[in-house]
Amino acid sequence: MLAGIRPGQSARLIAMLIASVVLCLSVVLGGSALGASAAETTVSTSTTTEQSILAWVRSDADKVGVANVSITVEGDGGTETAVTGEDGKAVIPVSEPGTYTVTIDEDALPVETGYPRPSSNPAEVEVFAGNTEVPAIFFLSPDNAKGAVAAPSDTATSTPTPGADGEAGTTTTTAPVTADTFWLRFWPQLVTGLIFGLLIALAAIGASLIYGTTGLNNFAHGELVTFGALMAYLFSGIIGLPAVIAIPAAMVLGGLFGWAQDAGIWRPLRKRGLGLIPMMIVTIGLSLALRYVFVLLFGPDRLTLPNSTKPFLVIGSVSLKFTDVAGAIIAIVVILGVALVLTKTKIGKAMRAVSDNRALASASGINVERVIRVVWVGSGALAALAGVYVGYYQSLRWDTGASILLLIFAAITLGGLGSAYGALVGAVVIGLIMNLSTLWIPENLKFVAPLVLMIIILLVRPQGILGRKERVG
Amino acid sequence: MNGNFIWLAIGQIFDPTVAAYALATIGLVIHFGFTGLLNFGQAGFMAVGGYAFAITSVIYSWPLWGSFLAAIVAATIFALILGIPTLRLRADYLSIVTIAAAEIIRLSVKTPEFSDVTGGSEGINGAARAFNAVNPLPEGRFGLMGTPLVYNQDQWWIRIVGWGLVALACLLVFLLMRSPWGRVIMGIREDEDAVRSLGKNVFSYKIQALILGGVLGGLAGVVFILPRSLQPDNYGTQLTFFLYTIMLLGGAATVFGPVVGSIIFWVTLSLTDGLLSLGIEAGVLPLTTTQTGPIRFIIVGVALMLLVIFRPQGIFGKKKDLHFA
Repeated sequence: MLAGIRPGQSARLIAMLIASVVLCLSVVLGGSALGASAAETTVSTSTTTEQSILAWVRSDADKVGVANVSITVEGDGGTETAVTGEDGKAVIPVSEPGTYTVTIDEDALPVETGYPRPSSNPAEVEVFAGNTEVPAIFFLSPDNAKGAVAAPSDTATSTPTPGADGEAGTTTTTAPVTADTFWLRFWPQLVTGLIFGLLIALAAIGASLIYGTTGLNNFAHGELVTFGALMAYLFSGIIGLPAVIAIPAAMVLGGLFGWAQDAGIWRPLRKRGLGLIPMMIVTIGLSLALRYVFVLLFGPDRLTLPNSTKPFLVIGSVSLKFTDVAGAIIAIVVILGVALVLTKTKIGKAMRAVSDNRALASASGINVERVIRVVWVGSGALAALAGVYVGYYQSLRWDTGASILLLIFAAITLGGLGSAYGALVGAVVIGLIMNLSTLWIPENLKFVAPLVLMIIILLVRPQGILGRKERVG
Repeated sequence: MNGNFIWLAIGQIFDPTVAAYALATIGLVIHFGFTGLLNFGQAGFMAVGGYAFAITSVIYSWPLWGSFLAAIVAATIFALILGIPTLRLRADYLSIVTIAAAEIIRLSVKTPEFSDVTGGSEGINGAARAFNAVNPLPEGRFGLMGTPLVYNQDQWWIRIVGWGLVALACLLVFLLMRSPWGRVIMGIREDEDAVRSLGKNVFSYKIQALILGGVLGGLAGVVFILPRSLQPDNYGTQLTFFLYTIMLLGGAATVFGPVVGSIIFWVTLSLTDGLLSLGIEAGVLPLTTTQTGPIRFIIVGVALMLLVIFRPQGIFGKKKDLHFA
């Protein structure tokens, strides 16, 4: 059946694959019982022909759902009413596709929760045949007046965009651009960009080391990031441990996850002599499977780590949360630590040697397999820290890592494939470009700018900023 | 819930979505299987074709043939823009550039600034109007030989055209791969330098292959949107990964592999959905009905891994055509 493979060998490989999946699962499963309440309301990929609208009333300050709000849906399929549940959500089935007006009853809202953002109530929702849980989200804040209508420049949207959306830590003003307001907007974007760049760098350095030592383009690297974020959520959000314990714990588990992946999947595949392109496709399969294991265990919703949104450091138009500042400092310390390990320690030198020339490194007595194992553990831990950081920076979800995967790739390519320092430089450039580009292009196109830059760099300087020519084929 | 889900699964064999996936995979087979190009942006080609068709037919009210032509031209242009600069780069660079280009397309059409033309994040509805207007079938609902598989005239029309396009594409690939052109293409896959030393313009052949497969992807995008509305988020990276699973299932360098792969892929997903719902209703499985959604993706992911590791040539492929393992 399995041509060209000895039966014993393939059986062992299957056993290892299963064992590694079980190991990964058991690491996560600890939290699944606790996460079950979050997992109850689930995904919009069902295949029923019915349509429905998901109304979600949340508090603007802490993004917590507001219960017992009456909701009215009017449209082609008639009028429906519902009341939000404990999580602030209500799913309203509608019989016909069409445009619906979703209204929340402002008169019945308690004053302390406040009122919806200006012009966001009622919300218009377009439902197509078969669409389920079409979102209509209302954010309540005591700052808003009852029945308020927005000034034309306000861009309050009723649907969240995936990935790094407007929930970033710094506040920006959206006044029309003049010379003064340009700089008012420039500095916050610069700082946000630097912070986001450091965040990407944590993940990109690991991915770059993996590429350097094994030649593998790891499409499942985003899932290492998500894993770290979810572990931090498990320890600090669900169990309630302080961040000082939860974050290192998430990093240790992230390292363990990296080790398990290498021992269970990648090492056996390297031993089999699987080519790099098939190996890359295996990472795609793994990424897909892991992502939806996360959905199964933690649910499809955005999760938030316990965090204070209070400004901690205010300089001019730049306002930062405590976690932004602390995160940036930790990231810089960790990155310096990685640089020290790479340049000063024996194992770090071995890593660079393997990256440069695997055969030569092996011939000069370096245990290549051991180096690769250390790289996987380190990358797992770094990616986990990046994940924790994303969780504090905005919010986290089952596809958090996947949504920044291309940015990680862009950072690696930009810096020069396989170079750890290049990845750092590339990541900071990506973070800056992404956030500064919003000064000129629409906010929701900010993911496009780094991708375009990456393509251009590949065309004019395929070896990247710090890469060397001989790595380019 | 009873045995109905089995009929649903069997219905997948005729489903236009399955035909669209098969068509897009045939394009991918030309890229990856025959030419050896690592295109991770087939979802982008589908999006470009689908949007060109929907925009020209819904917003500019072009005639049907014009919209089809627009889809083909748009996919060709996308292939040229993508191919001319990147085909000289190494395989894994091409993969990153194509996946990024596909995401750029998806994010750009989604943005509200272009929503007058692209419909923003809500997409475009009603692209099938011109297509259904030329439907020669009489009005009514027709069953298939007394089975519960009953569709109306428009549903039959898209099924006939979709699968007709798949059959044409299969014939085209079958003939091309037996022609001198096909031999050069497969030569490039095996050893680019050897082909170059024979005086062939490798770059030009690669571009031609990229355009051909891309146009099939664009047409697949058209077939994909005809039975539903056009939604930008359907064209994420996930779609490309599904196409890779289908391709590897049937065999990466085969003519009929994509067709069989697509049918097996969708019938399996449909059956697992049905069986999971049965199990949940009977209280055997500790899940809620909404959790069946993620499980199908987990199955696809694990299947993709196992296929590449244990049977990279797929069901119909031959070991000797395996350039990538």
